[in-house]
Amino acid sequence: MDASVSVPSSGKTLVRRIQRHRAIYILLVIPITYFIIFKYIPIWNGQIAFKNFMPRQGVLGSAWIGFANFVEFFDSFYFWELLRNTVMYSVGKLLISVPLSIMLAIMLYECRITVLRKTVQTLAYLPHFLSWVIMYGILLGLLAPGDGLLNDIAKAFGGRGIDYLTNVRAFPWVVLLSDAWKEMGWGAIIFIAALMAIDPTLFEAAIVEGATAWQRVRYITLPSILPVIIMVVLLRLGTILSGGFNQLYMLYSPSVYSVGDIIDTWVFRGLQEGKFALATAVGLFKGLMGLFLLTFSNRMTRKVSGSSLY
Amino acid sequence: MGTKRMLLVAMMVGLLLCTPLMAQGQREAGGAGPVDIELWYGAAITEAGPPPSDWVGFQIIRDKLGINLKLTALPSNEADQDVKISAAAAADNLPDIFMVRREVWLRLVKQGMLAPVDDLYAKMPVRTALQYDADSIGFTTFEGVSYGLASPGSIAKNEGVLIRKDWLDKLGLKVPVTLDDYMQVMKAFTFNDPDGNGKHDTYGFGAFIEINNFEEGLGRRMDPFFGAFGVAGTWNMTKADFGLNVRKGKYYDAMAFIKRMADDGVVDPNWLAYKKDDFRAAWKQGRFGIMREQNAAFAATSNYAPFDKNFPNGEWIVIDPPKGPEGKQSVGVYTSQYRVYAISDRVTAEKKDAIARLLDWMSSKEGYYLLGWGVEGVNYTLDDGIPVAAGVPDPEYAFTGPKGQPYTQLRNMVFYNGEVELTSRYPTYITATSGKEMSALRVLVDMQSRPWTAAIASDTLPPPSTDLKRFYEQGVTEFITGRRALNKANWDAWVAEFDKLGGKAWEEEARSVAVANGLLR
Repeated sequence: MDASVSVPSSGKTLVRRIQRHRAIYILLVIPITYFIIFKYIPIWNGQIAFKNFMPRQGVLGSAWIGFANFVEFFDSFYFWELLRNTVMYSVGKLLISVPLSIMLAIMLYECRITVLRKTVQTLAYLPHFLSWVIMYGILLGLLAPGDGLLNDIAKAFGGRGIDYLTNVRAFPWVVLLSDAWKEMGWGAIIFIAALMAIDPTLFEAAIVEGATAWQRVRYITLPSILPVIIMVVLLRLGTILSGGFNQLYMLYSPSVYSVGDIIDTWVFRGLQEGKFALATAVGLFKGLMGLFLLTFSNRMTRKVSGSSLY
Repeated sequence: MGTKRMLLVAMMVGLLLCTPLMAQGQREAGGAGPVDIELWYGAAITEAGPPPSDWVGFQIIRDKLGINLKLTALPSNEADQDVKISAAAAADNLPDIFMVRREVWLRLVKQGMLAPVDDLYAKMPVRTALQYDADSIGFTTFEGVSYGLASPGSIAKNEGVLIRKDWLDKLGLKVPVTLDDYMQVMKAFTFNDPDGNGKHDTYGFGAFIEINNFEEGLGRRMDPFFGAFGVAGTWNMTKADFGLNVRKGKYYDAMAFIKRMADDGVVDPNWLAYKKDDFRAAWKQGRFGIMREQNAAFAATSNYAPFDKNFPNGEWIVIDPPKGPEGKQSVGVYTSQYRVYAISDRVTAEKKDAIARLLDWMSSKEGYYLLGWGVEGVNYTLDDGIPVAAGVPDPEYAFTGPKGQPYTQLRNMVFYNGEVELTSRYPTYITATSGKEMSALRVLVDMQSRPWTAAIASDTLPPPSTDLKRFYEQGVTEFITGRRALNKANWDAWVAEFDKLGGKAWEEEARSVAVANGLLR
C-alpha cells in the first residue's frame, strides 16, 4: 500500500489527487458518514459513563460521579460469571468457528465437482441469513427434550432424552455449535477469497514433485492464507467481550442463566431499567479491553510470525 | 506527511465540534396550520400493520381537530417497549404522547420527563366519564400529581385452568379438585395414553415461563399450584401478611409439589424451553391435558381452529384451580390492568390542548366506532347495535379480516371493556371442523367466576435490581430442574442468600410504598 500511494507534498497535490480519483472518494463518503454517525458521535456521549445521567439534564448537564458506574458493574454479584461466560463464548466460537470455516473453505476450493461445490456452498451460507428467532425454532425442533429429533433418535436406540436447551452442561455446546453451524459458511467466504489469490503454479509444481493433497494443504494452502487467518483472529479478539447477544438472548432462559448470561444480556436487562450510564460504562470497558487485546495481539503476532493486521 | 496530519487534525476538530450539535436531537419549529402530534401506541393486533396513510381517521382528525397525527407502533414485546421508550427518554426525544408500562413511567416521572395531566381530565368530559375514575387517576398519581392517563387495560381475570374433558372421559376420570386429584389425573394423562395413539407422547400439564413484576419466579402459568398454597404471585398484598411470597414458608411447599410434578414426568419436559408461541402450538397439537391459558388465546375463532382441526372430538373445559392442603385455591393474581398513556413534558400548552381534543374525540361515538371497528358498511355492520363482521361487501376488509385489521390498531385507546366491545370482540361461533358452538365471552365469564387472588397495585411496587431478579428467577428454576437439591436446608440457605443480596431490602422498600399509598387490604 505504501508503495502505491505516495505521500502528497502539498495541499494542492492532494486536492488534485482527490479530483482525479473522485469516484473512489465519493464511494468513501458512505462508510465515512456511517463511522461519523455511529462510531464517532457516540464517543462524545460516552462521557455519561462517568456521570449520573439524567436525560432532562442532558449529557453535559448531568453530574459527574467518577467511576461509580464502573464500580456498580464490577461489584455485580455476577460480574465474574458474566465475564467468564462472555469470554468462554467468544473464545469458544473463535476456536470452533474459525477452524471449521477454514476447513470448509479448503474443501470447497479443492472440490472439482462444480455442482457439488455450489450446492454445498449455498447450503453452508444459508443459515447465516436466518435470524436467531428462526434458528431457535429449528433448534427447538431438533433438541427439545420431549419431542426433539435428536432425543427421538436417542430414545429409539434406548437412550435417555437430554434437555439440551435448559441443561447447564449441554447449553454451552448448543450455543457454540449452533453458532458454528450458522456462521461457518459465511466465515468461509474470506478464506475462499484468500485461496483464490494463491498462485496456481505453486500447486502445479507441488503435484509434479509428487506432493499429496494433504501436503499441498499443509505446505502451500495454509501458509498462503496465514495472514488472512491472523487478520480474522485479531479482529475477533477486538470483540472478545461480546459473546453474541442476539444468539444468547434468544436461547437462554432462567434455568441456564449461570452459563448463558453474558455481559451484553446483563446490560440489556439493565437498559430495561433505564440504566444507560451503566450500559455506557460497560461498553467503554469492553471497548478498551478489545483495543488492548487487539493492539497487544497484533504486536505479539508481528514479533512471532512477522505478519500482522497493521 | 504534514498535510496528511493537518487533514487528520482538521477532521478530528470538525468531529468534536459537530458531535455535540448532532447529539442534542432535534427541536420542533413553530408554525401555523394543524398541530403535529406524535403518538406511540400499543398495537391492538401485533401481527397486522399500522393504519395506512389513506386512513379516513387521519383526515377527520386533521379537519375536525386541527391535528396532524403521526403514529408509531410500539414493539409488541414489553421488554422491547421499555427499551424503546427508555432510549427515547435518554435522548430527551420522547414523543408527545405514548403508551408506557408503569415501571418505566415511574422512572420518567422521577426524572421529570412527563407532563402533569390533572388539568386534562376536565378538558375531556366524554373520555373521563368513560375511562378515568379515582382508581385509575390514583394509579398514575405521584406525590399528589397525576402524570399519566390510565385507561382500562386487558380484562382482569381473563385466564383460567383448562382440562381436556375428552381425555378425562376416555380414561374414566373425574374433574380433579385437590392437589392429589390433579397429580393422579396428570399421571393418567401422561402414562395412560389418553389420545389412544399407542405412543407415549402426552403429558399432564403444559406451561412456559411467563414472568412479570407481579408474577415472578416460575411465572403465571404455574400460579395455580402456588395458589393452592396461598402464595400465588410475587406479593402478598394483605395488611396481615404483606411481603414477598418467596420468603414465606408455604412457597417451599408449593415448590416441592411442582418439583414432584417435574420428577414424575407429568409436566411437558419442553416447558422451560418453550416461548409463548411454542406453548400455544403444543396444546393445539394435543401434547398436554391441563394448562392455564387466556380466554381469547384459547377460544377465539382463529386460535381454536387448529385444535379443532387436529382434534374434532377434543374438548377443553374450564375448571377450578387445585385446592391445597388448607383449602386454598387460586388461578393466580390479578391487578387493575391499566394501560397508561403519558405526555412528554416537552409538549407546549397548545399541544397539550390538542391531545385533550384528540383523546376526547376518540371516546366520542364517532371516534369510538371508527377506531374500534372502522367504517360502517366497509369494515363492519351493526347487528342489534353490536358491530359484526358479517354483511360487509369484502370480508377481507371486515374488522376481523386481514385487510381490515390495520384500521383498528388504535382500538385499545378507546375500548373500556364495555358490553358492546365484549359482545363484538368475542362473538359466538360454530367451529369449522367439529361444528361446536364456541364463545370466548362465555369462557371469559366462566374464568372470572373461578377463585382468584387480588393483588391490586402489586404491579406498582418497586422492581428488584437486575442481579436480584436474576438470582430469584434462576434459583427457583434450578430447584425445579434439580441443579440445586430441593430440601428445607438448601431452600432456607437460598432464601438467606436472597435476603443478603437485597431481597429483604426490596420487601421493605415495597412495604413503605404500599403503606404510603394505602395499597394493603
